[in-house]
Amino acid sequence: MDQKKRLLIIDDDPDFVEGIKSILDAADYDVDVAYNPKDGLNALQTGKYDMLLLDIMMGRGAEGIMIARKLRKDAKLVEMPVLIITGIREQIAFLFPGEAVHPRFVAVDELVEKPVEPQLLLEKVSTLLQRAEERKAQAG
Amino acid sequence: MANQPKIIIIDDEEVVLDSCTQILAGSNYEIAVAPEGKLGLELVHQINPDLVFIDLKMPGLSGMQVLENINELDATIVTVVITGFATVNSAVEAMKKGAYDFLPKPFTPDEFRMITRRALERRKLMLETIALRREKELLRENFSAIVSHELKSPLSAIQQNLYALDRELGNSLTVTQKARLDRMKARIDDLIKLITSWLRVLSVDIGKIRESFTLLQVSPMIAKAVESVEPHAIRKDIQIITAIDETLSPIEGDEISFVEALVNIFDNAVKYSYVGSNVCIHAQEKGRNIEIAIADTGVGIAKEELPYLFNDFYRGKSGQTVEGSHGLGLTITRRIIESHNGTISVVSEPGKGTTITICIPTIVQQNS
Repeated sequence: MDQKKRLLIIDDDPDFVEGIKSILDAADYDVDVAYNPKDGLNALQTGKYDMLLLDIMMGRGAEGIMIARKLRKDAKLVEMPVLIITGIREQIAFLFPGEAVHPRFVAVDELVEKPVEPQLLLEKVSTLLQRAEERKAQAG
Repeated sequence: MANQPKIIIIDDEEVVLDSCTQILAGSNYEIAVAPEGKLGLELVHQINPDLVFIDLKMPGLSGMQVLENINELDATIVTVVITGFATVNSAVEAMKKGAYDFLPKPFTPDEFRMITRRALERRKLMLETIALRREKELLRENFSAIVSHELKSPLSAIQQNLYALDRELGNSLTVTQKARLDRMKARIDDLIKLITSWLRVLSVDIGKIRESFTLLQVSPMIAKAVESVEPHAIRKDIQIITAIDETLSPIEGDEISFVEALVNIFDNAVKYSYVGSNVCIHAQEKGRNIEIAIADTGVGIAKEELPYLFNDFYRGKSGQTVEGSHGLGLTITRRIIESHNGTISVVSEPGKGTTITICIPTIVQQNS
């Protein structure tokens, strides 16, 4: 049997996190949580996660974007699939002027809006994980 | 305005300067004087005054020129011109050029004190207005950030947990418990939608829409908007009938916003129509305008409600409770249409239906 997939959630709203974590737990994922960007980056550095679920508006502003950017500069983490979970689609467009709908930081990212329907959440997570697997297989 | 108001008096007569300074000496003012215009302007630059008295008749730089220079420098500095009786005409001229008031010579100490108080009051109001306006602008700019984070985040957290609970408890809940959970989800969903459209109203920035104006064909936009409301119409068994003239001239506008405006109107027509009725959309070129008329045979709008139809947060109270309405759609629509130099009007009769007409100038007219 496949090993459980390990997911990391970085989001500063513990209540919201409970709501998605319990859905993911029930779907048999192994879920860790970091409640601020700093802990999140530290956790990512351990390199044991298959996927990141990332909030954008944390702390004093769009600190989630800072994490996504760091990720893309890190040779080890650049292929990590990221599901961006945000409450503010329009502001994302505002943060990236000229990009009409929302920016995908890279092709391995997806974006969903808060709150996210369980079905949609699970679909996105499994699609992103599957794509990552396929990439790995191709590369290997 | 600083705690101690700063006043400059510019006059070539030393006796005027002296007596004015003396009259105001007891009050808490900082007073500076200049015997002619050029020095006076230098003072203005130096101390950034709240109020400047200017003698109109001075050798060298004229009072009128000093006045104009001050106005260009900072229009919030209040200016009062001092004139001889013989030159009341030039006082009027000065006021046209931005002076707040004039003081005819000779004047009594009381007159001088009074005009000083009034002028400083004026300055205070002007500064307050500017501060308020800036605050309002800041509020508008920051509002979307505040609203989305402070209101939407907790609602999202609640909703997310309701979703999770629904999945986890799904099988162990009774039918009525499940129904209650569904109602909670629906109510929260309404709230989130309300906040989202509220944000839309605040962020429809007319200036920004205009920046992205391009040449647009009307009929594909109507088709797009119809497509987007069709599911709603099918659910209510309402037929949308379009009659669009073949050769419509293009208009100038922002496609996304314009389609949004059309969707709002079409959707309203469907929303307020009776099951099984028709909504007719007719587009034609009339003179130098494109006229799009959307007619339904629905509940209609009472005469006394019509004037408020396009106002913020107004929603019809004509008898029927209406699905998911919070009275913002038509406000957004009106703003979008007006930003396209167009007009929107409504004719309605309760029980018979409503016709909303949009009029948008064609591009030919805008060029001529």
